[in-house]
Amino acid sequence: MKISKEEFLSLAGMDHETLDVWIEEEWLRPRGSSVELSFSNIDIARARLIHQLKVDLGVNDEGVGVILNLVDQLYGLRRTLMELRQTIRTAPEPD
Amino acid sequence: MRDPYEILGVASTASTDDIQKAYRKLAKRLHPDLNPGNPEAEEKFKEVAQAYDLVGDAEKRRRFDNGEIDAAGAERPRQNYYRDYATSERDHPYTDDSGFADFMDSGDAFAELLRRSAQAQANRRGHDLEFRLPIEFIESIAGANRRLTLSDGSTLDVAIPPGIVEGQVLRLRGKGAPGSGKGRPGDALIEVEIKPDRSFTREGDDIYLELPVTLTEAVLGARIKVPTPTAVVTMTVPKGSNTGTTLRLRGKGAPKHAGGYGDQFVKLKVLLPKEPDPELEAFVSGWESGKTYNPREEMVP
Repeated sequence: MKISKEEFLSLAGMDHETLDVWIEEEWLRPRGSSVELSFSNIDIARARLIHQLKVDLGVNDEGVGVILNLVDQLYGLRRTLMELRQTIRTAPEPD
Repeated sequence: MRDPYEILGVASTASTDDIQKAYRKLAKRLHPDLNPGNPEAEEKFKEVAQAYDLVGDAEKRRRFDNGEIDAAGAERPRQNYYRDYATSERDHPYTDDSGFADFMDSGDAFAELLRRSAQAQANRRGHDLEFRLPIEFIESIAGANRRLTLSDGSTLDVAIPPGIVEGQVLRLRGKGAPGSGKGRPGDALIEVEIKPDRSFTREGDDIYLELPVTLTEAVLGARIKVPTPTAVVTMTVPKGSNTGTTLRLRGKGAPKHAGGYGDQFVKLKVLLPKEPDPELEAFVSGWESGKTYNPREEMVP
């Protein structure tokens, strides 16, 4: 699902300035061109995570970047593990 | 819900600062996005977040301490966490495979398995896309062609077969999301929702209709026109019909799955003229058996 910048700001409860900073920091990487950014549900969930890291967990800006980087690697690993499980399940039985 | 102070592990006299500290400590350990494989952490985090919602806010805490609000009712709807998207979608902007890139480069059997898996995923079939399509009752019996406009502006032509039932799912092969690599596209799954009709209802392959008739038609019998979902047919109302008399129009029901048609049942409802009619009143007052017949005879007084 594609979400426009304005919709995203309202759904994520953010203002323009914060969004610009988070994109600058590469915490958020929306698709689309610089003229018209396009967001999706994963961006909203990620913005919520960043907000919770900063506000609820008291993580400072440097920490947020580190955590997001590790979280992305963790999810990359988890997804690969899941795919691997799928491949092993659907692979033909050895003779 | 348990006592929020107990959940956060603080005394009920704790300062706002201490409560926040306790919450942060627990949240760091339990946040579902930082514990993607641990369902227990999510449960606990939810509890902790609810407790903090209540006593982390000075005003709510005051009302809770005074017994004005209790711990119940603080239930929050389940949040969609980042992890719900990050592992279910493959090509999102935050994909990062660098955590195991070195494994792929080695020459052992495990690396081979990883590569094969990546290849299989690269040629994966596209997702199925699900839609709901509300249609009129008449269309569900007669069939229809409908065009759906999708969120990306493309259109999808749907042929609704005659006799479709509520909740039936139409599968349009290859009309779902595109596959990756050599993968085939997914299917479009269209769940049909039939809007209720003002007159007709359906049970199995049979159609039911309540049809008003006049006193004259009921008493003397008549040939009257009756609507079916697809046409208007002529039906004989036998002499001496009554409210509740049900007549069958054979083969005028919904198309059967195995071929042929169900029936339409027409339940008569005798309606007197809307305006009082002096002639009818004069007749009924002189009508002797009308005074002795008791339709409530078998009812308990």
